[in-house]
Amino acid sequence: MRTRFPGLALLVGLAIIASACTSASSPSASAAPSAANPCAGATAHSGGTHVFPTDKTKWKIGVTTDVGTVNDKNFNEYTFNGAKQAAAALGAAVPPVVVPKDASELAKNIQGFVNQNFDIIVTAGFNNGQATTCAAHANPDIWFIGVDQGPPCVTPDGQPDGAFKCAGDAKTLLPKYVAISFQEDQAGYLAGMAAATMSKSGTLGAIGGITLCGPCVRYIQGFQLGAQKVNPNSVLKVAWVTTSDFTKAFNDPTTGKNFGAQFITQNKPDVLFQVAGKTGNGILDAACDASILGIGVDVDQALSYPNAAKCTLTSAEKKLLLATSTDIANIVAGTQKGGDDHWDAKRDGIGYSPFHDLESKIPSGLKAQLDAAFAAMKAGTLKTCPDKCGDISTLPK
Amino acid sequence: MTAPSSSGSPGRATPLLAQIWAVIALPLISILLALLVGAFVILASQLVLPGGNLDLLLPLTAYAALFQGAFGNFDALVDTLISTTPLVLGGLSVGLAFKAGLFNIGAQGQFLLGALGAVAAGVALAGAPPLVAITVALAAGILAGAFWGFIPGLLKAVSGAHEVVVTIMLNYIAIAVIAAVVGGPLRQQGRPEAITPDVGNAALPVIIGNDGHAGIALAIVAVAVVAFLLFRTTLGFEIRIVGANPDAARYAGMRPRALTILTMSIAGALAGLAGAVVVLGVTHLMTPSFGTTVGFDSIAVALLGRTNPVGIVAAAFLFGALRAGASLMQIKAGIPVELIDVLQATILLFLVANPVLRRAFRLRGVKAGLETTETITKTYAGEVAPR
Repeated sequence: MRTRFPGLALLVGLAIIASACTSASSPSASAAPSAANPCAGATAHSGGTHVFPTDKTKWKIGVTTDVGTVNDKNFNEYTFNGAKQAAAALGAAVPPVVVPKDASELAKNIQGFVNQNFDIIVTAGFNNGQATTCAAHANPDIWFIGVDQGPPCVTPDGQPDGAFKCAGDAKTLLPKYVAISFQEDQAGYLAGMAAATMSKSGTLGAIGGITLCGPCVRYIQGFQLGAQKVNPNSVLKVAWVTTSDFTKAFNDPTTGKNFGAQFITQNKPDVLFQVAGKTGNGILDAACDASILGIGVDVDQALSYPNAAKCTLTSAEKKLLLATSTDIANIVAGTQKGGDDHWDAKRDGIGYSPFHDLESKIPSGLKAQLDAAFAAMKAGTLKTCPDKCGDISTLPK
Repeated sequence: MTAPSSSGSPGRATPLLAQIWAVIALPLISILLALLVGAFVILASQLVLPGGNLDLLLPLTAYAALFQGAFGNFDALVDTLISTTPLVLGGLSVGLAFKAGLFNIGAQGQFLLGALGAVAAGVALAGAPPLVAITVALAAGILAGAFWGFIPGLLKAVSGAHEVVVTIMLNYIAIAVIAAVVGGPLRQQGRPEAITPDVGNAALPVIIGNDGHAGIALAIVAVAVVAFLLFRTTLGFEIRIVGANPDAARYAGMRPRALTILTMSIAGALAGLAGAVVVLGVTHLMTPSFGTTVGFDSIAVALLGRTNPVGIVAAAFLFGALRAGASLMQIKAGIPVELIDVLQATILLFLVANPVLRRAFRLRGVKAGLETTETITKTYAGEVAPR
């Protein structure tokens, strides 16, 4: 036992001394502010102010995704498809896509596009928010589209605000950073109406991926209000796959299937809403196995996950593809503005998916009801989220 | 790709050259063969993809972009160094454990815990003087990692619980701990998403280029420390003897139990430092989904570097360059990042299959080298707990 401590102490001591030496030297140099600079890696591109091509087929559009894979049948894929579609409409080159393998690579990948003098850089997912803000701050003359990164929170000098005071006005400080956000509760509301209409027992289920996911909570809050609008006596049971593990929450269909099967046995819903990404694909499978209806999330899951199409009633959609492609088109046309770019019913940014295989089983009035609700959302007269929007405590257990 | 054909001649060259060749022959041939396999994968994937026309030069385009992205200019080189740094520390962690006959699959979990410890201390000291904040945050990361290595070491020493199993499980626990802490006590108040505040003054200063943080220097120091520890101290000698033969070590008066605990703790400390360096030097904050493959890549790095500190630096530099260059390869050649995984895995495959390589290339003179593969075999064979 005596040998343990000298060795460990030696290692720790040397490492600390080394760090102290390197950091001690920095204040004397001009590097002092860089120690507190959260954007150390983000630098401006070379070659003076960026000039956008006059020929719109020459625009260079690049996409960087969240950690994982581009073919996730969800966020990464549909954002990328939106960029591809916009590029095709312009006649521009197919956008390259860069996939980080590690959280530490997010900033580097964006910088890669900056260094290659790209005109529009699309970054998918909230995890890219900080790095995108940094890159936009360092490069105010090129366009950034951050999907699910709105509203941006910046300091008065336009850097990401680590303290979340959001004192800076992003749309003037970072005029070419378009931070897309969605009104998830509206999409959930429509799905809830469809669910309550199709339910015979009046017992509905919703499974969220992880309690830490704000958008997941809003989806389910909207779902509850929508269901109650159609059938005030309907009962909603809510469960969460996990409170801690993001992989399990959004990338683990096997867990989703087991969890879904158990949930169905316990709560006996006859319509089940999944808000758990790829894990949710397993939940849809479980719904199919139990011969109940499932409802997909984010994208039209009858298309993205054909395995469960036969029992997927509809999906609560965020129009990722539309938002991305529209913003790119607007940028090239010169009409896009920076800042929070909120996609709600007014802009057709959310919606419900077609009923596909189940079209014949849908009561004739449902579509009209959904369209009426959608119109009311557009008009701004329909409340789709409780006062504490995004607060998980409002949901049933 | 000409290395194999020249493999015979250096053997007859000067003894020094022959020695160097004996050490690097297998890794070098493995790397070149892996690049060849990668080229075939690129060509084959074009045939499979719909509407893709066969571009025979695409592998060259891809590798050129990969090289340019890793070494093309000063910034690229700094990127490579940044990617190399955690791999060096992680590789040392795994390599040191190998030396003691322990297979530390838990570098991943120790890395995550180290990152968490550093971010927690960094956030708490975000407003403190940089010298204090950085020192404490690094120490917190090191200690958190060491603790995560101490657990499997202790379990192995007292109950014989196999460190492979225990560390794998601890990796999952680490993921859950991070989500719970980042989503709970460390969460930035008022924000809809779970994310920690910025580490502020605890961020490592930039010492090279735009973003080359001080962790690069720390990694170099760590290499020297571990090399010194292993080859110039009694403790290092004992670690190596315990790895070679626990029974002999015990008869010689060493204490395998204590050494197991100590080695795993130091290995954890190194992996924890890797995590601390990444959050304090690169990301400056943490999300609950803080994803990384550093811990697992470190195993490959340790194998490729033959568990030798200098070899580990070389291997980490190779993997770091692959990582750093991947971004430009994706942008310029449109090759998916998964090719990097293919390359890394193929290199390892060839290394592990070294008897085949040695026969194929008539490398009689080269070192068997991978004493580490024997370590793995031995570890998996389930030798009893050191008493």
